[in-house]
Amino acid sequence: MGRQPIGSPYVKAQKTRAYFKRFQVKFKRRREGKTDYRARTRLINQDKNKYNTPKYRLVARFTNKDVTAQIVHASIRGDIVLAAAYAHELPRYGLEVGLTNYAAAYCVGLLLARRVLKQLEMDTEYEGNVEATGEDYSVEPGETRRPFRCLLDVGLIKTTTGNRVFGVLKGALDGGLDIPHSDKRFAGFSKDSKQLDPEVHRKYIYGGHVAAYMRTLIEDEPEKYQSHFSEYIKRNIDPDNIEGLYKKVHAAIRADPEAKKSEKEPAKEHKR
Amino acid sequence: MPAGHGLRSRTRDLFARPFRKKGYIPLSTYLKTYKIGDYVDVKVNGAVHKGMPHKFYHGRTGRVWNVTKRAIGVEVNKQVGNRIIRKRIHVRVEHVQPSRCTEEFKLRKVKNDQLKAEAKAKGVVISTKRQPEGPKPGFKVEGATLETVTPIPYDVVNDLKGGY
Repeated sequence: MGRQPIGSPYVKAQKTRAYFKRFQVKFKRRREGKTDYRARTRLINQDKNKYNTPKYRLVARFTNKDVTAQIVHASIRGDIVLAAAYAHELPRYGLEVGLTNYAAAYCVGLLLARRVLKQLEMDTEYEGNVEATGEDYSVEPGETRRPFRCLLDVGLIKTTTGNRVFGVLKGALDGGLDIPHSDKRFAGFSKDSKQLDPEVHRKYIYGGHVAAYMRTLIEDEPEKYQSHFSEYIKRNIDPDNIEGLYKKVHAAIRADPEAKKSEKEPAKEHKR
Repeated sequence: MPAGHGLRSRTRDLFARPFRKKGYIPLSTYLKTYKIGDYVDVKVNGAVHKGMPHKFYHGRTGRVWNVTKRAIGVEVNKQVGNRIIRKRIHVRVEHVQPSRCTEEFKLRKVKNDQLKAEAKAKGVVISTKRQPEGPKPGFKVEGATLETVTPIPYDVVNDLKGGY
């Protein structure tokens, strides 16, 4: 019944030994709150008459300071990552601040798509949408090979209109991947008219929403502007040249999407 | 009211999930691939209601003859009266496990091929046939001491002491 300190009044144990004996733990990743198995079974399940053909998923995950985008396929021994792109790689292409906003998510999706296509030697055939217009763009099948198909895996986030995972999705689509989607959840889709406003979406892709906020702060609360956007100010990024900055980043990504191995010192030997 | 012989009658325990294994089924079930000609065991998973075989086939082993999008066609032997019929059923993959009945055979095949290749290289003739276990060879018993046992002569007076 559980050991109680001597002198304390008798308290009936709420969770008896019998409770623990009958308790069935959930899957480990469910206990950690990291995996939604209902979605996972549906994403992984491959038609049996396609045998060993891998079913790729575009995994987009956000942490507080980073964005992770991976192309993964499942196997019994564990999921295998074909290619990955992170927001912390964006400084290499000229973007050093605002690494978790919608525009940065678009850059990460674009980087991942170009990286994968280069890895599979399909990058010249599938250029994707070079000039980001915010309109709904789907890849057309090329001459020799069919486009690379994957499915978006959002994880546990709420799929509201304008969520950053759809920024990653848009970046990957414009990069040249074939991902089944609808434009209902892109930023700029209005529920009333049931249509995507490409102008609004384009504004988000180029950080227009950030620029607008910067402008209102400069006018109304300059001290808050100084504190909130201090890193932007340090790098001389004004609301006007934000769009130009992202255009340059997109071009740099398309020029060289290859992943670079980071130099790491050999792990320190611990003295036992 | 009579007992009823519906499709899932008398399956209360048969189709029940094992203790502490209820809920989501592990994803490796969906990741396994099956080819035509493989041997599979049919084992019903009560958590998945679609594509369930009839309770007769629970525990049977058969060969795959068809592969569709989410299910597998399995050919199972069933005794009907005085003959055995090869029955073809379609079962969803959740109710099927790869069978280990041919595992030993496959391993032996690989090993035999290897032995034959080695023997051919050396020029030796070998037989890879399995031999049944023969009679045990003779052996000597160690550390035995001989003790001769003789019966005691029957003594009428003493043995009848306790009465008739």
